[in-house]
Order: sequence, then C-alpha cells, then structure tokens
Amino acid sequence: MSGSHENSAFAALRGQLQDAAATFADGPGALEGILLGMVDDVDRAAREPLEIFPVCHHSPASALAMARRLREKQPKVVYLELCEDMAPLLTELRNCRLPVALQAFAGDVDGFPAQWAPLSVVAPITEASAEYQAIAYALDTPDVELVLVDRSSDHVFRWDRRDELTQETETEASASEKPAEAALHGEAVGVEIGDLRPRFAELEEHLLRHGKVRHWSEWWHQYVEVPLGTSDHDTYRQVMFLIGSLFRRLAPGDGDRVRVDEDRERYMWTRMREHLAATGTDPADCLYVCGAFHAASRVEEFGVDGSAGTFTISPRTGTTWQYGLIPSSHAAIEAQFGLASGSVSIASTEWTKSLKRTRVQPYRLAGQAGTKPSRAKKTPGRKTAAGVVLTPAPDPAGADRLTGFLQRPPVLDRLDEAELLGWSVDIVRAARRNGYLASTADAIAVFETSILLAGMRDRAKPTPYDFQDAAVTCIEKDRVPGRRDVRRLVEIMMGGDRIGQVGYESLPPLARDVYDRLAPLELKLQQRGVQRALLDLAARPELQACSDVLWMLRRLMPHGAARPIMGERRLGERSVQESWDLALGTHQRALIELGYEGVSLEQVLEQRLRREAYGPQATTATVLAAVEDATLYLGSRRLADELGTHALKVLAAERTVDGAPEVLRRVRALLAYYRTNEPVLPAWIEAFTKTGYAHYCTLLPTAFRDEDATVGQVAAMLGFLFSMESLALSLGCDRTQLELAVAQSHPEDPAKTALLWAAQVQLGTLSRTELRDRCAELLDNPLVVPTYPRYLSGFVHALEPVPGLADVVVEAVSNAFARLPDPVLLPWLPRLITTLRSGAADLAPRLIREAGRIFPARLAALDAWIPPWRAPQTDPFAARRAPQPDTPQGATLLRARPATCDAVADLLGCTEGWSRPGTPAPPPSGVGLLSAHPAACDAVAGLLGCDGEWTATGPVPSAATTLTTRHPATAQALDSLLTGH
Amino acid sequence: MSDLLRAPAEIKYAEELDWLESIDDNPKPFSWRLSPKMVRLFICGSERSDGLDREISQKWFGDRSFVERSIVTLASDRGLLLIGDPGTGKSWLAELLSAAICRNSTLVVQGTAGTTEDHIKYSWNVSMVIAKGQSRESMIPSPIMTAMEAGSIGRFEELTRSTSDVQDALISILSEKYISVPELESGGGDDNIVFAKPGFSVIATANSRDRGVNDLSSALKRRFNFVRIPVVTNKKSEAEIVRFRTEELLRRHAIELDVPPTLLDVLLQSFADLRASAAAAGSDDEKLESALSTAEQIGVLEDAVLHSNFFGERTLTARTLASSLVGSLTRREPEDLAIFNKYLHGVVEPRSKEEGGSWPEFLEGGRDAIATLS
Repeated sequence: MSGSHENSAFAALRGQLQDAAATFADGPGALEGILLGMVDDVDRAAREPLEIFPVCHHSPASALAMARRLREKQPKVVYLELCEDMAPLLTELRNCRLPVALQAFAGDVDGFPAQWAPLSVVAPITEASAEYQAIAYALDTPDVELVLVDRSSDHVFRWDRRDELTQETETEASASEKPAEAALHGEAVGVEIGDLRPRFAELEEHLLRHGKVRHWSEWWHQYVEVPLGTSDHDTYRQVMFLIGSLFRRLAPGDGDRVRVDEDRERYMWTRMREHLAATGTDPADCLYVCGAFHAASRVEEFGVDGSAGTFTISPRTGTTWQYGLIPSSHAAIEAQFGLASGSVSIASTEWTKSLKRTRVQPYRLAGQAGTKPSRAKKTPGRKTAAGVVLTPAPDPAGADRLTGFLQRPPVLDRLDEAELLGWSVDIVRAARRNGYLASTADAIAVFETSILLAGMRDRAKPTPYDFQDAAVTCIEKDRVPGRRDVRRLVEIMMGGDRIGQVGYESLPPLARDVYDRLAPLELKLQQRGVQRALLDLAARPELQACSDVLWMLRRLMPHGAARPIMGERRLGERSVQESWDLALGTHQRALIELGYEGVSLEQVLEQRLRREAYGPQATTATVLAAVEDATLYLGSRRLADELGTHALKVLAAERTVDGAPEVLRRVRALLAYYRTNEPVLPAWIEAFTKTGYAHYCTLLPTAFRDEDATVGQVAAMLGFLFSMESLALSLGCDRTQLELAVAQSHPEDPAKTALLWAAQVQLGTLSRTELRDRCAELLDNPLVVPTYPRYLSGFVHALEPVPGLADVVVEAVSNAFARLPDPVLLPWLPRLITTLRSGAADLAPRLIREAGRIFPARLAALDAWIPPWRAPQTDPFAARRAPQPDTPQGATLLRARPATCDAVADLLGCTEGWSRPGTPAPPPSGVGLLSAHPAACDAVAGLLGCDGEWTATGPVPSAATTLTTRHPATAQALDSLLTGH
Repeated sequence: MSDLLRAPAEIKYAEELDWLESIDDNPKPFSWRLSPKMVRLFICGSERSDGLDREISQKWFGDRSFVERSIVTLASDRGLLLIGDPGTGKSWLAELLSAAICRNSTLVVQGTAGTTEDHIKYSWNVSMVIAKGQSRESMIPSPIMTAMEAGSIGRFEELTRSTSDVQDALISILSEKYISVPELESGGGDDNIVFAKPGFSVIATANSRDRGVNDLSSALKRRFNFVRIPVVTNKKSEAEIVRFRTEELLRRHAIELDVPPTLLDVLLQSFADLRASAAAAGSDDEKLESALSTAEQIGVLEDAVLHSNFFGERTLTARTLASSLVGSLTRREPEDLAIFNKYLHGVVEPRSKEEGGSWPEFLEGGRDAIATLS
C-alpha cells in the first residue's frame, strides 16, 4: 500500500518509520504495517477534496482550531457528525444556558422490544467544543447550511446492541453513587462527536504510565491539548488524523463495535454525497466535522469519490420520536462518557484561557443565554474579524507537518506564576470556608509542592491535576464524612460543575404552560434549588389554580420536584392554606420529558391514569386508585365514571383476593365522597357494590380455606360484605347469599376460624355468650393453648368487619395476657404489634378506645377493679322478672283500662271474667298434674332415683285439676306420653 | 550483609543506590544523595523506557502518585506523615525514602505510650554529667537530633501512639528547625542550640485505626503534609507484594523453597473471602480480630514456609498453609475458631468439590488445625 505513495508529501516520514520499524521490530512486519498504515490514513484524509475537520470531544484545542478555521475558510456547507434527526433542535440552543443536551425520546416503541421503552438518546453540547463553534457559525452566518449527517436516533438503537448499552449504564451507575448533578441525563444513551480514546485497555494503561499521568483526560491535556493549542491548521489536522488512525489500528477486533462504526461512516459519506449531488455544492466549499476516529476510516464509501450505491440506508422503525433540549452538566457528561471527574470543567477553563491568550474570536449563537454578547456576531460574513491572530499562510494542503511535530521536543508550557499563586490562595480560602484548618502557610506549601510535583513529572508548568495533588497533600489532614474533600474543592475552584438550563422559549408547550400557570406564585421557578411557595387559598382564591397544578406535578414528577409541606388533598378534603417546596429548576429534565407525553398536565395525567387502569397488570385496587386520582386531581367525573366502569370489569375477572384490603379502603372512601358530594351515587359504584357483594360472597368459602389468602385479606372481604351490605341489599342483593357463603366456610387456620366466628356473631348465627364460651374452652384445653394467640390474631382482624365485637376482643386479649403461659404469649406479642401497626389507622384506635372504656383510668383504681367479664352476671331483666305479689304484672294497666282489657280477652277467647284481687295465689303449676297421674310421677321418680313416699299436701289445688277434667282427652294423651303406656 | 538478620534498605540496596547516584545528573535539593526523580525510580522501579543500563526492581507497590507526593513533601519545608491501616507498607515506604535520600534509615523514634520528650530531643549520660558536668559531650542526642545535625531524614514510627505533649515537642523542631538545650550555657557560641542542617526532615507514620488514641494537635498537623496510603484491594498488586516480600524473607532465612503459584492463589483467595465475610459481619464477634492486611498474609505465608522447611518435607503444601492460616489468625478462643469452622464448611468445602486443585488438601489441613486448637 505504501508503495503507491512514494511521491506523496509523507515520503520522508514513511522512510523514517520504516527504519524505525526495522530497528525496533527486527525487520519489516506488523509494526511496519501499522506505522505506514497510519501515514497512509493521514495522507488519504488530508488529500480528500471535501475538507475533513477531525475533532475530539470536549477539547478546547479542537474548538480553537475550529474557530480559526471557520473564520479563515468560511465554508458554505458544514457537515456535522450528529444524529440527523436532531437538526431542528439546534437553533433552540440560543435560548439555553449551556451545557444542555439534545434529546430524542420515544415513549412508545414500534419495531423494538417493548421492554426497551422508553428510548432516549442525548447529545450534550458544551461551549468549549468544536461542534458548538460549527453550529454557531453555521446558524448565524447567512447562506451557510448546516447538515447533520450521522445516523438517526432510531438507528442508534437499531444498530447498537441493546444489551451492551444497558450493561454500560449499569456499570456506570453502580460504580459510584452519582450525585444529583451527575444524573441529569437519566438513563439515556449518550452520543457525542469525536469519541477519541484508546480501545485497548493495555494501550491506555501504557500511555498513562509513560505519560506519568493518572487518567486519560490528563494525558490528553498534556500530550495533545497543550502542543496543539498553538499549532496551525495543517498540523492540527494531521496530528488528529494520526491519533485517530493509531487508535483505530491498535484496537481489539471487537466485531460489533467496528461494524457499527463503519456503518456510521458509510452512512455519513452517503448522506454527504447525496447532499452534494442535490445542491450541486463544490466540495471545496464544504467542511466535514467528525471525530478523528472516523477521519481515519477505511470503508469503500470514504471520500467524495468513494464508491457510491454500495450502502443502502435502512429505513427507520415505526417508532415516533420526540425531540427536545434537556439541561446537562459537566458532571453528567463526565459520568455518561466515563471521563475523569472535573475534566470537562477544566477543559472549559482552559478554553476561556486559550481564548484570552490567542485572542481568537469564538462563535456564539446570537442571543445565547448565559454568555456575554459576542462581538463576532456583529461582523458576520466572509470578512475576518478584527483581533484574530492569523496563523502563517499554510503550505499547500497535504504538506507534511507531521514529521516536524513528531520530532519536536515536548512543548513545555511556561510556568505561569501569577496564575498558580492565584490558585493556591483561592484553594486555601475555599478550604477555610469548608472547615479546613488552612492558612497562608498552606498556600505557600501548595504553591511550592505544585512546582515540585510538576518537575517530577517532567513539566515546567503544573497542570490543574498536579495542583490538585499538591492541594490534597498540603491541606487535607482529616476526612470528615459529609464535608467536601480537597479534591472536590479544587474541581469547584477550577470552574466547578456548570449546570445548563433550557430557556423558556425552547421548552415544550407543557413545561411553558406549567411555568405560566405557576406565575401567580411569583417565584423564579427556572432557577435551581428549592423554593418555598405559600398559598393562602382563603385570602387569595385565585391561587387555587396554582394549587391544582402543584398537586398534579406532585403526582407526575419525581419525588422532590414538588413536595407539600403543609396542606393535603384527599377525597372531600381541601386545605385553606398550603405550603410547598418546589424544585422545578432542578428537575427540569423530568418536566421536559413530561412535555413529550402531551401538551398539558391534565392530558398527561389522564393518559397516565388510563394507561395504569387499562394496563395488563392492572388490578381492581389500581383502577380504583386511578378513579380516586381522576376525581382528586382532574375533578373529572367523566373520566372517573369511565375508569370506575372499567374497575367493575376488572373485579369480575379477578380470581384472587390479594387486593381486597385496598379495594375495601378505596371503595369506602369513594362511597363516602359521593354520598356527601353528589346528589345521587354514580351508577358505576352502585353496580360495583352489587358485583362486589356477589363476587366476594362467591370467593369467601375458598378464601377461608386457601392457605395463600391472608387473614387480613379475608377480613377485608368480610369488611366489604358487611359494610356494603345495606347498600347492596337496597340494590337488590340477597342476604341469603352471604349466609350461605359463611355457612360453607370451613377454615382450618385458627386465625380464620376466629374470623369466621366473628362473622357468625355479626350474622346472628352465634351468640356472644357462645363465642365467649368457645374462647374459654380454648384456654382451658392445654392441647389448644399454644394456638390461642392465632385465634386472637383473627379476632384483632375481625375488628375490621365486625367493629361491634371490640369488647369481646378486648376481653379475649386480656384473658390471653392473664392466663397464657409466657412461652406461648411472648413469641406472639411481636406479631400482635405488627398486626396493629399495619392496620394502625383502623384497628388500633378501636381496640384502644374499647380497652380505655373497660379498664380503670387510674392506677389506684386497678386494685379494686374486677373485669366486667368476671363480675357476677346480673340479669338486666331480673327486676322485671322478680315476683311482685303486691302489684301483679300489668294488673295496674289492665285495671286502668278495663274496656281494652275486655276487648283483648274477647279476642283471646277468655270468658272467665274479672277475678277479684286478694284471691289466694294459684298453687305451683305442675303439682296438680303430678297428683292427677301418680303412676307417671312414680315412674319419673324411679328414673331419677327418688325413693321417698308421697307427701300429703293441703287441699288439692284446683287449677290443673280443673284443666284436666275439662279436657280429658288431652289429659289421657299426656298420660300415655309420660308413662309410655 | 549476611551477619545482619534484617539489613536496612540502604545496606540491602547499597549497590543499586551507588549506581543510581553515579548516573544521576538531575538537580538535587539540599544535601540529598539522589534527585527526586531517581528516588522515585529507586522506589517504583525502572521501565524500559527509562533507558537505564540495568533494571531497578520495584520495591514499594502502590500508586506512584503517593510516592511522588511523599518525595515532594520531603523536598519542601514540611514533614511527611504517612497514614494508613496496619500492613499497608507505610514504614517500608518511609525506610525506602530515607535510604534513597540520605542513605540512613535507622534514625528512628518508636512512638509508644512510654515515649518521652527525651526520646525526641536529647537526654543525659548521668555518669558523664556527674564526672564532667553538663556539656555537649555528656549529652545523648535523640535520633531526631542526630538527623538534624547530619541534615538527614529522621523517622518517627507510630506518632499517634505517643502522648500529645510528647508529639508537640516536634512542633518547634519542624518549624524553627533547631533544638535549644537550656541546660548548657551559651558561652558566647551556639553551644546550647542544635541547628538542623539542610536536608533534614521528618517522616512520621500513623495508624489510621488508632488515630483517636492521641490525635494530633492542629499546630502539629499543619507542620505535616498527610499522605494517605490505602489498603491494597487489587488482587494483582497484592499478589505481587506477597511474592516480593516472601522472597525477601526466604532469602533472609536462606531457605530455598518454592511457593507454588496455585498456593499463592489459595492464600489470596482465602484472605479475600475472609475480608468479605468481615465486611458483611454484623458484630465484632462475627469477624476475625485480625485486620487481614497484606502484612498478615505475608506473615501466614512465612509461617507456613518456615514450618515446612523445618518440620515438613521442604515443600510447601496446602495443608501446612491452612494450618498456619488458622494458627496465625486465631486470637480469640471460641469466636475466631467458630468463624474458621464456618468458613471452611461454608466456603472452602463447596469450592474444593467444584474446583479441586489444592482446595481439598487446604480444607483438610484447616479442619485438622481447628481440631487441634479446640
């Protein structure tokens, strides 16, 4: 290959490299191939008629060379290695404070696996970058066209293997806990122009070791940035071509990665040729800005004259992409692309310094936010701006500038004492502010140590990294958790992390709408940081609209973006005063991404609610939650009804009772809300109650038996059935269904058994006395005692469906404490506490209220206290039942109203007439019967073992005898029954 | 050299240092014997790209920037304080630095609870004082004072172990660079003041685990530059360190015995496992009392090597390694043994079934050792 270039500009260099290869590798071989191949690559790229401008990302030297070249050449078309579909976004950059990132976002995917969604690609743009120079030049200079030629965002995912992408993201995320600034890009895949880094770990390690530097950014700074900072255009180009070629040739044969790279190159050249053909532009008037890695490409399509038609650009998938700008930060860029911490900030500082030193006038977009107005834009056109230091007239293109560069001794930046002194003083001040014991003596020590360290590392001027080491050595004595370490302080001092901001005009309609609607709050919400908003809704009712927006933001945005400090919004409740902590500026990306989903918050919220309710994982509880949110945040009866009707369907299809507690809680809240706020209940909730009643009745027996259904779930089912019963019955349900369901239930688990008993008490099929007896039996039976606590758990849960049972539950728990042996009681206590805590809102207050009622309020009273269940049972009807000879029961009433009494007597068929008071009391009943049938009485006595004789009584009482004599047939029948004859 | 049990670095590497000094044409600060770059080369070893005629071995393993920062500190006005966990090679680095810079690494004060100010400054030869009175002759200079007089490096080991008032004696030495001897009369000259010569500096070491014992005063802190030496967690570097130090020990004991690489792997892996389990432990009872540092690994290996050499068959076996691992690291009777028992049965046993190699023998040796100790 090299033979064909004998006469090219690089013949001399080729010869030298051949000799070098022969010397070091003992003859021609692979080394020679690599070295000469590199020269070939440089030669080829330099001779390309369409000028290739190789760049490296976040390199001030590239940016500087770009600014110079653009002023000098004034190309008419600039081709840029950036996703072509992002082009419309570029002009929006002027409204933003850099760094920001161009973002392509796809929430719903079509043509990709569903689990990849949402897809997001970001391309961060900093001011100290060559691409920004090119963009600013092209957009602000009349008659200049900017063409983005790289594959679209869609192709990024089509070509790259997703598993690799996710792996990269994961390792980055797990490498260290990223601070908030470093996580600004979220989970997006990053693309950037000019990724230039050795692909061989060994090569990078070797370069770092020999460069006596710690990381790649430092190496690049020392060996490329500094020497290229002052070089002319040709040298810059050739050196960058060489580096690109070196990293390309010394790369492991990672097939997929190389394939993607080459496809991108084919793509870009195809696009450029298409554009040239379509517009008829002369390639000499164009500039192609791409990473140095791609400049050394060896694909067939390379060059204006490369083979055409061999590469077909594959169509995009059906995915709809949305575009926007999101704020970025230096830390986020470093985290995304694996750069050393602080390197982008240092590059930014270097850029400012280089501009001052070289007096190159950079390009800035007109009206660029966050920068001072540039003088350059006032003199657009092909004229060279005043103050530009023009490099010497270049040699004919393609002349060998490489040999000189490679033979030159390392460029030593002069020691800038004033700058270093400034740094030393600043870092000491910063350290003092951050609680370090640093003094002027430390400033001197840092200064001295920096120079000494730089000397040891073969450089005259300490780099920011040397300075950082020196500062750590001299100042950092303690490491206090939570305090910024000195390394971080140096990074901050060197420019710190700069966080970009997307200007109002570039925001999506939704974000603009949010800012507009929150304007009455009179806060600078675009600023980063937390701001407190106070809403006195009683005094300023117009703030109600802001409050609505804030509640929606809280529902839609990540935690912390809008946080209520005071005030709450629940069904049927509204606060008169609210106070909020707002951090919308900090979470601008989330707000912008919300803008991709719709044009207003209401629309996005409705979509999300629908998605949640109709999703494949939706349960009745989630649908009801969506209903609640629709009512709460949107006040939309229409949506609530629609979702509620859907909840009905979901409930009917559910076969488990997992969500029963949540369903019960939500339905109760909604019912209470509708009862108080609506004239009539919505049809759906009536239907829901009916369906729910039938549904849970059906599932009840199974749930009682099912081991997977918890006591809490069964209790919630019963709670639904009992508390909705009156409504359900009024709507036509039948209680028999519930009674049958309870009758069919035969739980084995003690807790559920207790629950069943409680249900039976509620239904009236079991009396409280029987329930008490059952509990007492359990405690008396030593075989069952160990399981008693589980019954108690069931009773505690039963408070939910049968709140009236609270006194029995208190009694049961008290008995457990009194009678259970410690080995049984103690292990159960934690479970009781957790049960009460999980149901704290409902169960604990009931239990405590009841206990408070039963137990004495004061300690002193405890000694004399007897639990009500141990107190002698007094019969509440005893007084009435007690014989009152003087005043026969009802007699007074009868006497007072004789006419009524007579009428009743007639009706009953009593014809005896009134008896006079004072007549002797009737003899004890039954005695007459016995004496009338002595044989029967003897038989019974024999059975009972009574051997005594008949005792004579007084005159035979008349009543029974009279009766038997009056009805002899009945008397005989009785006789035969009793005697068996 | 052979009659020294452990030769200090300047004697051990005398020949190498002489050679480096002969080729060193870089500027040297003060009275340094080698330039800072050569000191770095001596400690971190040479590379082909350094273009030297002979190879200089690497003597301290760790990030080069620590070495650079240490050297630079010594060339400045401040003392150097090396801080790190036990077994991270602080003292070794201090010794190498002293040897390279002034060819004397033996001017050492050992900080203990019993260290007094006399150990830092000077004391008196009582019989001489009785015979001749207080004079420079009857004074016994401390290693630090000797270093001042010679313009060389004084070392202070375990600085934080000595009490605060004793530590503070260093303040005036490090800032004024002289020690006054008030017992002597001035006599017109500077007899009652010992001035430091150019090149004097102090390298102190402190154990980061004991920093709370006697924390340094702020005044002393600002006279030291702190270089923090982290624990080696990189398995590759740790293997290098263990191999390097063990070879040295074997040479010292004149033992010819090979350490098979597989056994070295077993040792490194077992330490890594034990460290992981210590990190996951909830209480002190669930982790070994030992710090499990690299130095302790070397200790275990040395113990195993010596045992095999004198009582075994002159070859290092996994069984011996396991028994010395258990023997060396068991400090508390039931707790540590219980941890080893758990480790052997929970980790080593499955691994020996899966991987085989030296692990089954290692397992057996460990079991025997535990049985013997219980």
